[in-house]
Amino acid sequence: MSKHALRIAFVVASVVLMAGVGFVLKAQLIPKSFGLYGPYRADAIDEEAQRVLKHGTNASCFGCHQYEATIHLKGNHKTISCEFCHGTYSDHIKNGKKIANLPVKKGTEITTLCLRCHNTEIKARSTMVIKTVGIQDHLKKQNVKLTHTCNQCHHVHAPLKYINEAKKITGLMEVKP
Amino acid sequence: MIIKDFKVNKSCVNEQLILSDEKFPLDMDKRDFIKKVLKGAIAGSLFLVFPMDTTGGGNFDKNSTLKDGISTFDPTIKLPEEIPEIRDRQYDIYKQNFAFIVDITRCIGCGSCCVADKREYNVPDGNYRTWVERYIKDFDDQVYVDCPNGGLDGYQKPRTDIPLNARDTFFVPKLCNMCKEAPCVQVCPVGATFISPDGFILMDSDRCVGCAYCIQACPYSARFLNPITKTAEKCTWCYHRVRKGLLPACVEVCPTGARKFGSLNDENSEVYKILKGPGVLTVLKQSMGTLPALYYMGQRLEVV
Repeated sequence: MSKHALRIAFVVASVVLMAGVGFVLKAQLIPKSFGLYGPYRADAIDEEAQRVLKHGTNASCFGCHQYEATIHLKGNHKTISCEFCHGTYSDHIKNGKKIANLPVKKGTEITTLCLRCHNTEIKARSTMVIKTVGIQDHLKKQNVKLTHTCNQCHHVHAPLKYINEAKKITGLMEVKP
Repeated sequence: MIIKDFKVNKSCVNEQLILSDEKFPLDMDKRDFIKKVLKGAIAGSLFLVFPMDTTGGGNFDKNSTLKDGISTFDPTIKLPEEIPEIRDRQYDIYKQNFAFIVDITRCIGCGSCCVADKREYNVPDGNYRTWVERYIKDFDDQVYVDCPNGGLDGYQKPRTDIPLNARDTFFVPKLCNMCKEAPCVQVCPVGATFISPDGFILMDSDRCVGCAYCIQACPYSARFLNPITKTAEKCTWCYHRVRKGLLPACVEVCPTGARKFGSLNDENSEVYKILKGPGVLTVLKQSMGTLPALYYMGQRLEVV
């Protein structure tokens, strides 16, 4: 083989080699699912879909807490999520077993929690949507101590439960106009 | 004196010689260093070639599995299906159409959605995937907006730092608009954010390099840079919940039904009825042409 032909062979061989290395690198560096739907890694969609659930639904709580369910579902608070006040499902249950107790709000914590929604001082709340009170006015009007917390009169799961029961017993049930 | 000086100088020279002798092993270190770097580079590229298995590493909840696009559930978890026709069947990613509607007239600013969102994603303090703004408009058409801690603590006190002739006050929940022409997707240089065929704009945190270009591009400020992972994050409308037939966490906990989510393929869903009905629906920053899939009811002109 002449020197010239050897040189050409060397150039061709090196081009083939570099192309081969390029293809191998390209195949291995680009993620497998890249470009399946577009210029991104399609597996990221499934990875996002498999993220751990933290919140369940109210029904997932009522599966075990049936007594609370009967009260909660009858009252005006039936649309409130259990997990907002008590904490998330995943903090309580893992693989179908209880792993920890969720905290129960007590005392002034409850008042603060109630006033997140029911504070009349925040004017943006439509009366069509929610019944609001000025807490101090309300306590004065009901002739109770100003240190009373909401849950001393209102059942937190069904706010009018005790009040309606008391009215029935005392015969003071208001006739709705 | 001269001799002494000479001696001193000589000793200095000797010291320098000794020092240069000691430098020789440093050169060996350089070689070692280069060898190590090369080895590291080769090992690193091997890791790229054989990526670590991210699905089987126990990162995801074992209760829910997604195989061949079918999500199955451990029956011990009692989660009723809230979005029909998704669970236990083939998810046709090209035929999905979801919409999110926020009814401003029903929002009471309790901040449940913000709390649920923070819990669901463990969002770092100071960053918000969703938040609730308070708008106050007075009779001079002056608009005051505030959002203490993203609404996480709720709105316990009225604003006292502004004149008291408010004529209209309302809360505006904000979240990702899931634009059909998303600026954040257009600007991403590495393809780490994308519009999936079912209309969700998602993040691939494995590919994100944290350049924060998308954060600047988003006209709704829905994105932030996670200070721990240093990657961009955003609201996904709880994609993982939707794929399991559940409503997004913020919709789940909303006590007044101000947030509504549903599939437009389901003619019985609330969003389908609202979108088909005569009510006025608006989107944020319509003039930007981003075509959001998030609609607002009862939106005032002042809201941006």
